[in-house]
Amino acid sequence: MSGTKAKDPRFPDFGFTVIDGARATRVPGGRTVEEMEPEYRIKGRTTFSSLFKYDPFDFWVGPLYVGFWGFVSVLGIIFGTYFYLYATVVRGPYALAQNFFAGRIDPPPAEIGLALASPGQPGYLWQMTVFFATMAFFGWFMRQVDISMKLNMGYHIAVAYGVVFSAWCTLQIIRPIAMGMWHEGFVLGVMPHLDWISNFGYRYNNFFYNPFHAIGICGLFGSTWLLACHGSLILSGAQYRGPEGGDIENIFFRDAIIYSIGESGIHRLGFIFACGGVLSANLCILLSGWIVDDWVSFWNFWNVLPWWSGV
Amino acid sequence: MATMNPIPTDLELGPASKGRIGKAVELPILENFGLDSQIGPTFLGFWNILAYITGGIFTFIWLTVMAAQVSWNPVAFAKYFFVLQIDPPSSYYGLGFAPLEQGGWWLISTFFLTISILAWFMFLFTRARTLGIRPYLAYGFTGAILLYLVIYIIRPMWMADWSEAPPHGIKALLDWTNNVSVRYGNFYYNPFHMLSIFFLLGSTVLLAMHAGTIWALEKYAAHEEWDELQAPGTGTERAQLFWRWCMGFNANAYSIHLWAFWFAWLCGVTGAIGIFVSMPDFVNNWFQWGIEAGIVYPESPMPQP
Repeated sequence: MSGTKAKDPRFPDFGFTVIDGARATRVPGGRTVEEMEPEYRIKGRTTFSSLFKYDPFDFWVGPLYVGFWGFVSVLGIIFGTYFYLYATVVRGPYALAQNFFAGRIDPPPAEIGLALASPGQPGYLWQMTVFFATMAFFGWFMRQVDISMKLNMGYHIAVAYGVVFSAWCTLQIIRPIAMGMWHEGFVLGVMPHLDWISNFGYRYNNFFYNPFHAIGICGLFGSTWLLACHGSLILSGAQYRGPEGGDIENIFFRDAIIYSIGESGIHRLGFIFACGGVLSANLCILLSGWIVDDWVSFWNFWNVLPWWSGV
Repeated sequence: MATMNPIPTDLELGPASKGRIGKAVELPILENFGLDSQIGPTFLGFWNILAYITGGIFTFIWLTVMAAQVSWNPVAFAKYFFVLQIDPPSSYYGLGFAPLEQGGWWLISTFFLTISILAWFMFLFTRARTLGIRPYLAYGFTGAILLYLVIYIIRPMWMADWSEAPPHGIKALLDWTNNVSVRYGNFYYNPFHMLSIFFLLGSTVLLAMHAGTIWALEKYAAHEEWDELQAPGTGTERAQLFWRWCMGFNANAYSIHLWAFWFAWLCGVTGAIGIFVSMPDFVNNWFQWGIEAGIVYPESPMPQP
């Protein structure tokens, strides 16, 4: 059971220690939200109240925490949704339900480069949607930081969300700037963005040959596989009442594959798989067109490596 | 704590220790990274020995046939490892047996691979039953098995043509995936493929959310999930409040694993449906299907009403 066994003192400690008394807080059957939530709903301890001693939005609306960053995020959500729905659904080619799938917002034409489109010009709706979406995502990210601070927990959830937010930034902001035109951003809309992905893969010959794409896919499949293994293992042991307690899960996995990574280990491994896969996916997009134009001929280096070029 | 059991001091012997081999080895450095430090003992029984042997035969045939293709030259084998492949029989042979070098090896190796996968399912199922836990791991594995069986066995047999199955090889498998999408009019328009991708990405999101939540709450012992299921403590309460405050909805220590199970399982199952219906008998062109469903943006925009 990780967290209870001896560590190796010769190496740095990246493990953890359970706070004294944490286990004693367990209540058989648990407490209702009404019973426990007041203990945790305390003002203060947010990014803004740490910096300025005051957070003007330090309150809850129903179950939802707001905070300064929640306010920022809500502004982005309202305006971003307005521009998105106006362009895809209201101005879409078909009836309402089909427009949800078929509607599209194209990025600005290549001619305007990195300039801003004015209202009514092609690309204006795309730029506005992307701007407010980025604002909403960043606000949401900082709001997760705020809630983590409030609950006195680690920032891992915000970090994981930051990783997927970085994928948005890479695709819509960093890579278009690197390529010198907003035109390189992806088309918004359900089916049109799938078209864009499909075309993007074949534009650089074949994305199946992109090694960072391959690592990203491995991260996604690996995440799904780890999620299946972990979820089903916990479900399988949930009603076990034998003498081993929760250690039955470790025993089962040792019987299956010699090693059980442990209760904390599986969550660390899962976090690394999920975030690593998305980070590699970032890289596979960022490198395409900017550094590598053809992922098939990219592999030419393989055949001329000095140690086997003559074979 | 009335429902709790103490942590057993003797970890080497569990229930049903018959068939278990080896001793527990402790590697304390693993604890420095939050990983469990105990390696072994492990279990050998009929079903997993069968899975190891048949899986070993598959691997042996795969590697040996590929080595023969480069005249047993180890340097060439390493150089061309990713592009060597064993092809299934050509459509000329239908479902009949083909000469070894023209698909026979593929039939034999795939037979052993299939036996290995099914034996591993039986192993997971029987071992869970013996240990007194429920066989959810075997149930979850059925999603992946179904996807495998549809791609390698069921769909080729339905089409009476082994050449529809993917070859065994790294690049060959990627090429097959690419080609089956192009052949049936772009899989991005296949709604079951969409669902499968949704569950694939959704599983990654769920894993990041759950794993991040638990990692962030290790110091409150939220990772001791079996204990938290029976008696939630401050770690689980914080986990639930985080998501309640963040998105207005939260799972609990039990139900997050139900979400996990169904998302991951449905990824395989919807993918299996999507690949099975992609054949001339059913849907020959998913792009055409998308046009008929009215979800493709028209080439020339329609006049506004």
